[in-house]
This record gives sequence, structure tokens and C-alpha cells, in this order.
Amino acid sequence: MDTNKLIKISSITKKLLVALFGAFLLVFLLFHMCANLFILAKDGGEAYGAFTHFMGTNVIVKVLEVVLLGTFLLHICLSVYLWWQNRKNRPVRYHQTSRTKTAKGSKLAIISGSLLLVCLIFHFYDFYFVKLNFVEGTYMVKTEEFMNSEPDQEISEEARVAFMNLINDGKTSKDMQWIRQISAEDKAVLQEAFPKAEFEPDFYAMARQKFSIWHIVLGYLVFFLVVGLHIRHGFESAFQTFGLNHYKYSRLVEILGIIYCWVVCLGFAIVPIGVFFGL
Amino acid sequence: MNFTLHIWRQENAKAKGHFETYKVSDISPECSFLEMLDILNEQLINDHIAHPVCFDNDCREGICGMCGLYINGRPHGNDDGITTCQLHMRKFHDGDEIWIEPWRAKAFPIIRDLVVDRSAFDKIIQSGGYVSVTTGGVPDANAIPVPKRFADMAMDAAECIGCGACVAACKNASAMLFVGAKVAHLAMLPQGQVEANERVKKMVCKMDELGFGSCTNTYACEAECPKQIKRQNIARLNREWIKQLFAGNHKPEE
Ligand code: HEM
Ligand code: SF4
Ligand code: FES
Repeated sequence: MDTNKLIKISSITKKLLVALFGAFLLVFLLFHMCANLFILAKDGGEAYGAFTHFMGTNVIVKVLEVVLLGTFLLHICLSVYLWWQNRKNRPVRYHQTSRTKTAKGSKLAIISGSLLLVCLIFHFYDFYFVKLNFVEGTYMVKTEEFMNSEPDQEISEEARVAFMNLINDGKTSKDMQWIRQISAEDKAVLQEAFPKAEFEPDFYAMARQKFSIWHIVLGYLVFFLVVGLHIRHGFESAFQTFGLNHYKYSRLVEILGIIYCWVVCLGFAIVPIGVFFGL
Repeated sequence: MNFTLHIWRQENAKAKGHFETYKVSDISPECSFLEMLDILNEQLINDHIAHPVCFDNDCREGICGMCGLYINGRPHGNDDGITTCQLHMRKFHDGDEIWIEPWRAKAFPIIRDLVVDRSAFDKIIQSGGYVSVTTGGVPDANAIPVPKRFADMAMDAAECIGCGACVAACKNASAMLFVGAKVAHLAMLPQGQVEANERVKKMVCKMDELGFGSCTNTYACEAECPKQIKRQNIARLNREWIKQLFAGNHKPEE
């Protein structure tokens, strides 16, 4: 069966979509990197917590979150589909290995992309899945939720102890608005006592805790390297796919790509390194 | 000079091919690659060794695009900006082993030995690589003013000789450089502009249909093109394609 007929859009349009979704991901990546820098602030998570609270509750952001996941999915599906189709266009391979001089980024895109996907799953496991309640993490909750929420039943002794411990351990923010660094066990106990209280993942605490472990830091540095490899090719490639390659300005795009790549990768890398070395 | 040649032999499109090893000796360094193959074939005929090796060629001066061979891992051999007929034995070292394969792509089936059927390219041209009205003889240079920059770019693109090295070099067997060159060269001249949208649509659809791959911006084509057609032509093809997408629904006649 000619699988090309399955998706009846031309190869160029498919490639355009890969590039379009890729470009959206590039914008997202820059945004993600900038936001991460707040983790470096030694404010007990004040700034980053406010950010994650906004990101976790705002309606527009929630829509964008779905869009982003869809973008990832479509980018991956389309690019893997194209790669698979392209393999079939040379049923008999050459006996000799190619000695044509080309940049390696494009040939490696499927490998760097696949590695990226693997890293991404680990990354989701670390953070995003906590938000989706797939895995347990560390949580934070607005203090007022406790004050306002009417406990359905008598607060159990266990919950009272857990609550007091949190207050006494100084897990509240300076302005007393938030209680942070709530462990999964404490959260479970408190949630039962205060069913209406809305717990959110305390990503600041989770990041700081994870980035104090050397092999996790190393893992993330590898992740960023893989991201770097993929976007070093992707940035320029997207311009070419959009038809934005000009005899005069292609060098400019190349330089922009290199700058973008280094800024994003170093920006990401500085957070785990900084946290690990106690900056 | 003496060489050991490993040449792909294949009776016909359906037969199973294999490499055959031959030795040639006393080859002059001034000898062209195709002349070297001629000498080999004379040997094969005179000594009743085998059917001569079939390979395509015509002009032997780098303008017809017939002579594509995949030599030691590179289309048209180990030099830049030349066709196989322009490759000379002085580019090799005495005693070298030389591997010679035909272009390999689904869209270029093997006819015999090193000869492939490149009529897929003709089909792409037939699908839209023309101007429908008679434009007459060569007009006076000043009759239709074309800015020099555009004339130059169109001329550079028009240099494509349809040899297929771009397809042979590309890991996806993509014909985007060829189609890009053809689309770009007509799109940049006034005569070609009327049909520009339809042309790109028909040619790209034909290209997909014939089993050429899609471009992943690897630029192996650019590196191996004997006429050094630039990747900017692929970008222009993409641009023309986008333009066509938004230009409304032209229904190409059946
Ligand atoms: C998660 C798994 C991912 C996979 C499997 C993947 C795979 C691919 C593949 C195979 C290509 C085609 C390369 C080519 O043919 O030129 C590609 C292109 C691209 N990717 Fe990814 N990618 C992934 C994630 C990402 C991410 C996170 C980003 C953004 C930061 C991204 C940005 C791009 C860009 C900009 C292109 C170039 C588009 C083009 O011109 O075709 N990719 N990707
Ligand atoms: S673009 Fe270059 S390599 Fe491709 S067919 Fe034309 S001349 Fe040959
Ligand atoms: S024989 Fe015509 S280009 Fe080589």
C-alpha cells in the first residue's frame, strides 16, 4: 500500500508543518528557559511559586498547555512519518558509505530528536507528571485555603500535628500567604482533613531538591546538550523550510541560530549547576 | 596508471545485481573516467571476457547530464562541480580501488549495469516545467526588461542539466534541488510568472507521486551538483509553494 496516500498533503506542506510546530517549540523553549532562571533566586520560591501558581491556574495558560502538548505530538509524528517515508525512497542502498560533505545536524535530527523524546519523558516524570497527579512530589498550598475551608469532619490528630509541624518548621512564606515544601504524606493527611484545599506542586522545592543530587544534574546537562544538538540544526532548517533563505542573509540566520542555541542551552544549564553549587 | 575496478553489473531491471571486479592497466592520467571505462569495455570485448559494461553518456563535455555514476561514495566522483565525464584519472592514485555504482533511488530504476532510467525527471518537466504560450525566438535583450539580479539568478538556476546527482546524493532521494532549480528559473522571468502558481503545484505533486523523497535540509545535493545549483533555489521552491497555497484554488486541467 502506498502510505503516502494516507495523508494527502504534499511533502512540502508536511515539512512546513514540522517547521511551524518546531518554531512554536523554539519560542516555548526560550520562554521556559527564562522562567527557570527564577529558580536561582534565593527567595524560598516566592517569585517562582507565584509564576507556577499563575501557570497552573490561568485559563489561557491551560489552553496553551494543551496546544503545546499537541504541538509536540504533531511535530514528532509528522517528522518521524517523513523520515520513515524518506527511507523507502532508496530501496537498494549504496554499497559505499557516502563521502559527500554535508553538515551532520540534519542527518542526526532524527537521532537527536528521539533522544530528546526519551529525555523529555524523564523530565515529565520529574515535574510535569506531578502536576497531573501521576507521580508524587512536593506541594504547596495557600494558607488562606486552610482558614476558609470548612473541615467536613473533626480534624484528625494526625492532620493537626502535620499542620503544626509545617508552621513550626518555617515552611510558610515570608508574608504567610503560602505553606510550602509539603511532603506527599503530609499532603495526603491534610487533604483528607481539608478536602477543599487546593494543593499545587511546589516546583521550586522539587527543582532545588533534585538539583542537589549530582547524577540528576548530570542527566539534565545531557538533556540540554541533546536539545542543543537538535535546535542547532532546527533553527536554521526552519528558516529554509519557510523559504526564508537569501543569498545575502543566510549567514545572519546562521549566526542568530548559534546565538539562540547557546543562550537557551546555557540558560537552562546554569540552573541545575547553580543550585548544585549553592549559588 | 593501474586500477582495480569494482563495477555493479545487473542484467536488467528485474535481475539481481552484483559487483564484478576488473583490472585496467597503463591508463594515462590525462584519460577521462569514461575513456577509462571505454578501454575496459574494449578489453572485455576483445578478450571475450564479458558483455561490455553499460553506462550512459552523450556529450562528454559536462552539458547533457547523461553520465551519472556513483564513484567511491560520491556522485560524479571525488571532485566538486563536475560531471562524471569531466572527471579525470589524475584525480586518482596509481593502484586505487574504484567502486562504481549506478544512481540508487526508487524513482530511478536500473535499466542495465550502470544505466538508470531518469525519465521521472522528464515527467516532472512535462507536468509543468514549461511556458504554455509560444514566446517566439530570442527577444532583443532590451525588449523585456529583467533586472540584472533576477536575470543572473534565473540563469544560475537554468544551468541545471538534469543529471540526477542531487537525487543520488540525497539520503532521502529527494529531487528538491532539481525541481527547485526548474521552478525558480521560470518564476524569476516575466514569461514564467503567469503560470507560476500552477506550475509549482503540478511539479511538486508529480515529484511526490513519482517516489522522490522530501527535503530535510541536508544539502548533500548542493555539495554534489555539477552545476553548483544553490540551496536558495529550494528555499524559493518552498516560497513558491507557500504562495501557491494561499493563491486560491487553481484547478489544473486533467
Ligand atoms: C521530542 C521529540 C522530537 C523529535 C522526535 C523531533 C524530531 C525532528 C525531526 C526528525 C526533524 C526533521 C529534521 C529535518 O528533517 O530537517 C525535526 C525538525 C525540527 N525540530 Fe524537532 N523533534 C523533537 C523535538 C523538538 C523540540 C523540543 C524542538 C524545539 C525546541 C524541535 C524543533 C525542531 C525544528 C525547529 C525543526 C526544523 C523544522 C524543519 O525545518 O523541518 N524539535 N525534529
Ligand atoms: S540540480 Fe544539479 S545535481 Fe540536480 S539534476 Fe540539476 S544539475 Fe544535476
Ligand atoms: S556525458 Fe554529457 S554531461 Fe557527461
